[in-house]
Amino acid sequence: MIELITTLITIGAVLGGTLGTCSYLIYVERKLSAFMQDRVGPNRVGPYGLFQPLADGLKFLLKEDIIPDHVNKVMFLIAPTISVFTTLLAFSVVPFGDVNTSFKWQDLPIISSFVPESWQTADVLRFLVAPNVDIGIVFIFAITSLAVYGIILGGWASNNKYSALGSLRASAQVVSYEIPLGMSVLGIALMAGTLNLESVMGKQTSSIFAWNIWYQPLACLIFFTAALAESNRMPFDLPECEQELVGGYHTEYSALKFALFFLGEYTHVVTVSFLTVILFFGGWHLPFIAEANLDANSTSILMILVKLGVLMLKVFLVIVFIMLLRWTIPRFRFDQLMGLAWKVMIPLSMANVVVVMTIKQFGISQWWLLPISLALFGAAGAIGVATKQAELNQRSVTTH
Amino acid sequence: MGTPLLEILLPLPVGAAAVIWLLPSARRKPKIVAGILGVISLFLLGRVTHSSGSIERDVMFDVFAAVALVSGAMMVTDKSPAYSALWFALVTLAVCGLFFLQSAPFLAAASVIVYAGAIIVTFLFVLMLASQSGGSNYDQFPSHGVYATVAAFTLLGIMTCSIHRWSPDTKTDAIPGQLQTKAMVGTANPLSRANDTPTGSLHELGRSLFGDYLYAVELAGTLLLVATIGAIGIAPRRSQGTL
Repeated sequence: MIELITTLITIGAVLGGTLGTCSYLIYVERKLSAFMQDRVGPNRVGPYGLFQPLADGLKFLLKEDIIPDHVNKVMFLIAPTISVFTTLLAFSVVPFGDVNTSFKWQDLPIISSFVPESWQTADVLRFLVAPNVDIGIVFIFAITSLAVYGIILGGWASNNKYSALGSLRASAQVVSYEIPLGMSVLGIALMAGTLNLESVMGKQTSSIFAWNIWYQPLACLIFFTAALAESNRMPFDLPECEQELVGGYHTEYSALKFALFFLGEYTHVVTVSFLTVILFFGGWHLPFIAEANLDANSTSILMILVKLGVLMLKVFLVIVFIMLLRWTIPRFRFDQLMGLAWKVMIPLSMANVVVVMTIKQFGISQWWLLPISLALFGAAGAIGVATKQAELNQRSVTTH
Repeated sequence: MGTPLLEILLPLPVGAAAVIWLLPSARRKPKIVAGILGVISLFLLGRVTHSSGSIERDVMFDVFAAVALVSGAMMVTDKSPAYSALWFALVTLAVCGLFFLQSAPFLAAASVIVYAGAIIVTFLFVLMLASQSGGSNYDQFPSHGVYATVAAFTLLGIMTCSIHRWSPDTKTDAIPGQLQTKAMVGTANPLSRANDTPTGSLHELGRSLFGDYLYAVELAGTLLLVATIGAIGIAPRRSQGTL
């Protein structure tokens, strides 16, 4: 019974937190875009435009909800819900704090006097919706691989050329980038000996040199890039690129149905940022501020909040980085996009896995992974430049 | 324990009738008849499955199993290939739910990634490219639908009989959802005997795959590699001007 209540409260907190964050991320994104383009950005609704997300949300709710005549109605309505459902479900195995600690009913100052005695030592809130999922990250990949159905069905049901082209691009892109995404995490799984996100995070919290970024910088880059491609964010947003496809797969969508697609994309960005921090940047750990041994003598509510804050700060920084990328790197051409996945990232991630396996097998110091990763990255760059140069030389020979 | 063979085989003809009724044809047939037949068939099937003792588990099993069966029937009988592919996705997801119930999360996640996440997406991709304007004439009606259905359900019946006759007697605790079978006399068919090693956790699964079944895994891997190289070999080159 109390277990069920804890889970429900946790789900409520996660759902509320994610949805609230997503609406304010739109504000952050608009302000950042404005900053980068030397504009002011939203500043009319409330102080500094802080109530803009509320206005946006109301607008999504109150605008006319159009279902065009020529669409396949069932699929047209199901598509955006799939998009949100999959991204939210994937969040259920992502820890969002130190999972070894939790708020107990007795820690709450006023409310604790109202709850029954037997609840006092039980958890109010866990920092994870579904604990002890053995396959952690594989579960996330499995669920997010279903997100492509939202895009495919949205494009197919819209019965519109632009939508169909957008969803064709999306399906090819998402299926291709799933491979480097999965392969890049394999190195981490080998080093940690588990796929469980709580354990992967727990293993990095001993010192700053235990963070996986020191041993797997290349994997981090591949993971981040592939995850960005999966979420159809800017350098990879070919499924919805405005200049060619109007709005891509969501051309025919309006009002709340469009908002659901939008929400799905933002939730995906949040999940990706959480995963990047948990897998590569030590989760809630930060030297001198949030450490495991500081926690041993004081399991106070303050310490829990500090860890939560550190994790959230890291996640926020990753999200801001993703948003800055949007106005920094131009969109790919579609064949370049496919080339990047199949010719660059998949071979590199395979090489990375082989290196990690070799180091594990022969018991060599893990620090060798850092120079080897950088060397692999450099070699890939050199090969790329050399091939391009050879191609250019060839072209100049044939034209003259 | 043990259910008479007849009771286990009874749902099959009813189910076959439902599928035959659902097959697309020139005449318009009310779908409700197939629905009623299907519900009767599922009900008869539900009577012969074990109860696990926990009501949530039973309900979840029944829901997943029913979704898988109904989606399977719809996948075979739907007129539009795109809908068929989507029903197939639903079959895969329901079966993955069953895997989760049997504490095989890795198998479930792997099938979602491979089947629902990649293969069916590729189907849809091809279908969207190929048949934007609906299926062609010869796609509309099955040519030997009734014979095919009868043959398939006969095969299913024979398989059920064989499981009923030679089911393993090594497992004393019945798996929820498994067919109730009579107590074994004589030796079990070695192929159907369950492996005793636990394979629920990821570690055990890995050890089993790359220990006990190493040769099979390597052979399958080599086969896939050969197929990939073959596919690349067959694919036209850009320089030949065919792409």
